[in-house]
Amino acid sequence: MILSVKHQERYSRGELLLRTIFGAFYIVLPHLFILFFVSIWANILSFIAFWVILFTGRYPQSMFEFQEQLLRWNLRLNARIYNLADDYPSFGLSATDEHTTLEVPFPESTSRGLVLVRAFFGVFYVVLPHGFILFFRLLWMNILLLLGWFSILFTAQLPKAWHTFAVETIRWQTRVTLYMGYMTDEYPPFSGKE
Amino acid sequence: MTKTALKYVQLPQPQELSEREKEDAMGAYLMMFASLASSLPLPVINLIAAVVYYYVNRKKSRYVHFNALQSLLSQLPTTFLNWGLLYWILQIYVFENLVKNDFFIAFLTFAVVANLIYFTLSIVACIKSKKGIFFYFVFFGAYSYKKVYATSNLIAYQNEEPNVHRPNPINAPPF
Repeated sequence: MILSVKHQERYSRGELLLRTIFGAFYIVLPHLFILFFVSIWANILSFIAFWVILFTGRYPQSMFEFQEQLLRWNLRLNARIYNLADDYPSFGLSATDEHTTLEVPFPESTSRGLVLVRAFFGVFYVVLPHGFILFFRLLWMNILLLLGWFSILFTAQLPKAWHTFAVETIRWQTRVTLYMGYMTDEYPPFSGKE
Repeated sequence: MTKTALKYVQLPQPQELSEREKEDAMGAYLMMFASLASSLPLPVINLIAAVVYYYVNRKKSRYVHFNALQSLLSQLPTTFLNWGLLYWILQIYVFENLVKNDFFIAFLTFAVVANLIYFTLSIVACIKSKKGIFFYFVFFGAYSYKKVYATSNLIAYQNEEPNVHRPNPINAPPF
């Protein structure tokens, strides 16, 4: 899986202030409104994909691509909410973005046994351990991004190390999502590194 | 050449269909589980899912279009039956406007049998479409075939060369 958010040499202070004051109205609300319905559809497809994998041992490619596009959309939006990228995030499943990249290789076959194990015990061996660590990591990420907000406001720059930490946290979360969504058989590592 | 061959596009054989087409066709019949997936036990959820699936996938190929349309149409009778049953049950057990009588038992039995038949046929259609084999529902199968495989169908499918099956072009030169 490849996930990256481009670190910009300079960030726009104007966009930062605009996002902070009006971001909830012109970015978050319109995107979340559409994403709410798209996510309902994604849940339906995910449920169906579970049964298809169980019987055929393969994730239907169209459904896989839909989930991948939805993850890409979420990444585009999150990158702006966290002030990791400038510009307005594009709407749509097939939209492109020059600041973010997410590529998930399509698995030709998926383990049926693992699908069942994840469905029944995934909460215990994936969600709980990863969620526990990610909770603290997200807390730290938010502190760094709050400091980053001031950094951008005064210097127009976001320290590379802070940016990397935030991107690694998102990458970590995405790996857990992919594993729990049956999109990969590879157990997510306890790290956000590439 | 027979009259049917002139009016309809030739049906693809299983080996001519891509794996992706077969999967997309199979997915159409699985929309009957949509209400389960959304945890909302409303009969209309499956129909909405089938409609969405139809419009998202119908231009991918004729094979996908045919199966999505057949799946959507075959859901209509059971959806209406289930709505009727739900209304009747609510009137008897929740609002207490009606009483349970023999007509209700008959309708309930009919609805259960109809749902079982629909479920079984959809599973069969689902398995067959994954193998690239056509399965025709009574009435809906023939209608879907006529709608999708007729040469008069002007939809531009993603897996077909433009204008391959367009014997009746809309735009024509002035002379």
